Amino acid sequence: MEAAEGNILYRQSLERAMQGCRQVYHTAALAKMWCRNANDYHETNVTGTRNVLEIAGHTGVEKMVYTSTCGVWGPTVKHPMTEADPRIAGFPIAYERTKYLAELEVNNFVKQGMQVVTVNPSRLYGRGPITDSNTVGKMVSGYLRGRWRFIPGNGQQVANYAFLDDVVAGHIAAMDKGIPGERYILGGEDISFNSFFDTLQQVSGRQLGMMHIPLKAIEIYSRMQWLKTKLTGLPPVFLPEFAERLKYDQKYSSDKAIAQLNYRITPFADGLRKTVVHIKSIMDAKAGGANIQQQEWESQRQEIRIIS
Amino acid sequence: MHQQNIMKQQTAIVTGASEGLGKSFAIELAGRGINLILVSLPASGLPELASFIRKNFEVRVDVIETDLTRAESYPEIFDYLQQRQITVHLLINNAGLGNWAWFGDKSTAFYKTQIELNVVTPVLLTRLFLAQTDVTVTSYILNVGSLGGLFIVPKKQVYGATKSFIRYFTRCLQLELYGTNVKISLLSPGGINTKPELLVMNSSLKGISKATIMEPGQVARIAIDGLLKGKKEIVPGIANRLLVLLNSVLPSYIKDGIIRRRLNTIINA
Repeated sequence: MEAAEGNILYRQSLERAMQGCRQVYHTAALAKMWCRNANDYHETNVTGTRNVLEIAGHTGVEKMVYTSTCGVWGPTVKHPMTEADPRIAGFPIAYERTKYLAELEVNNFVKQGMQVVTVNPSRLYGRGPITDSNTVGKMVSGYLRGRWRFIPGNGQQVANYAFLDDVVAGHIAAMDKGIPGERYILGGEDISFNSFFDTLQQVSGRQLGMMHIPLKAIEIYSRMQWLKTKLTGLPPVFLPEFAERLKYDQKYSSDKAIAQLNYRITPFADGLRKTVVHIKSIMDAKAGGANIQQQEWESQRQEIRIIS
Repeated sequence: MHQQNIMKQQTAIVTGASEGLGKSFAIELAGRGINLILVSLPASGLPELASFIRKNFEVRVDVIETDLTRAESYPEIFDYLQQRQITVHLLINNAGLGNWAWFGDKSTAFYKTQIELNVVTPVLLTRLFLAQTDVTVTSYILNVGSLGGLFIVPKKQVYGATKSFIRYFTRCLQLELYGTNVKISLLSPGGINTKPELLVMNSSLKGISKATIMEPGQVARIAIDGLLKGKKEIVPGIANRLLVLLNSVLPSYIKDGIIRRRLNTIINA
């Protein structure tokens, strides 16, 4: 294994990195809730993906797995979304919008004969760094510190949680068995906020009194945050487009990946137990003053990972 | 109970249902328990949308894949309904073709298609729809216009003109149909975040221009509410309503300034 430093917005660095590679996993993206320059989403997620596709096309790469997101479907109605289902809402969230546009880029290259398989992970959790994009990691570490004590609305809103190890295995299976031009949802269990925190309480052994905050209050708060960011440029804690999303479920079916890629789903309680152990170890390390691993992870966020 | 039974049997035609605002209309109506006749071009994802709606809502969905610029397509739709003994209670004239280009930059074929889809299609579908309505219950027609039918916007010359046509047509039918059991509404939205190409453009807008852009789901909900209440004109969004109000009181040079500013933002983007 060899690491190549680079940035998907610098084509030369991509060319250097892909030299002699037969396979590319394009996982790099900007997945934060907010960033100062709104154009960054389009740059990283759309232009960056086009760069990777173009360079892969003329450096002799044979097959590519593109990491999209279940966010291209977004909210669901009653049944879990499948790959064939349409998106039913608009695209107010920049991340989802630009990831959707990136899928269109991928489609264009597939039409020209390129072998690209798209995978769509749902909300990821697992043994990884706690960054701005890792919402579950932030929730869990907040809970373990005793700082996260609220549940949005009545807590019955459901989202799909995918365990990192499953999703990694799903990527490798997609490279191996995935049909170019096809999409595969790589998800996990559909879990409500209430059962998320019930499970977290069980596996962590930490019991906190949780408060339910009405969605209307979250909406008003998010508007105030939006205004604060507009006026001061300070990062918002939460934004209106995400408050709106709390009204909907986000349920996804991984049946296609299970059937075609032998994808398997780790039971949520097992996955969350492993995640809690991992996050506790990060917290302990931090308490001991060793923050090195976290910093290392942070610096790798824009990096590309290439396996040949 | 009786009222509810009638509600259950309601059926709506939505044209241009496969994407954007049309798709949002389909979801919105299905959520209200109204059966659907979805009309759109072949290979635009209509069967997938229909099966999604059937799975998630308890409504009947029929799909008609056709090119609405073909003259035969209008009678074909109503023949299809007659054969299945379906009476339609709502017509959503949504299909349309926008453009954002200097007049010389599009072909004659493009403008012909645009005028056929934006003008000929809603007029003829409305004519055929009215001929089959059940006069004992209320029927509804929603014509999708645009604030562009009210303001003169450069690079929207033909599009804006077709929407002005729709404005006149709708207003006039409201007079003709006064006192009947048919309610006809004009929807005049501002910008809507629909197609991905537009998304890129809309996300670079700022200030007042940005405030007028809305989400399709929101517009569909407001539009259907207004339609069922029998509103004559529906302008979704406070910023857009403010624009309409200002339009009636402001001198024209200020209005032109606002539009030019919006135009500049996009050109410079």
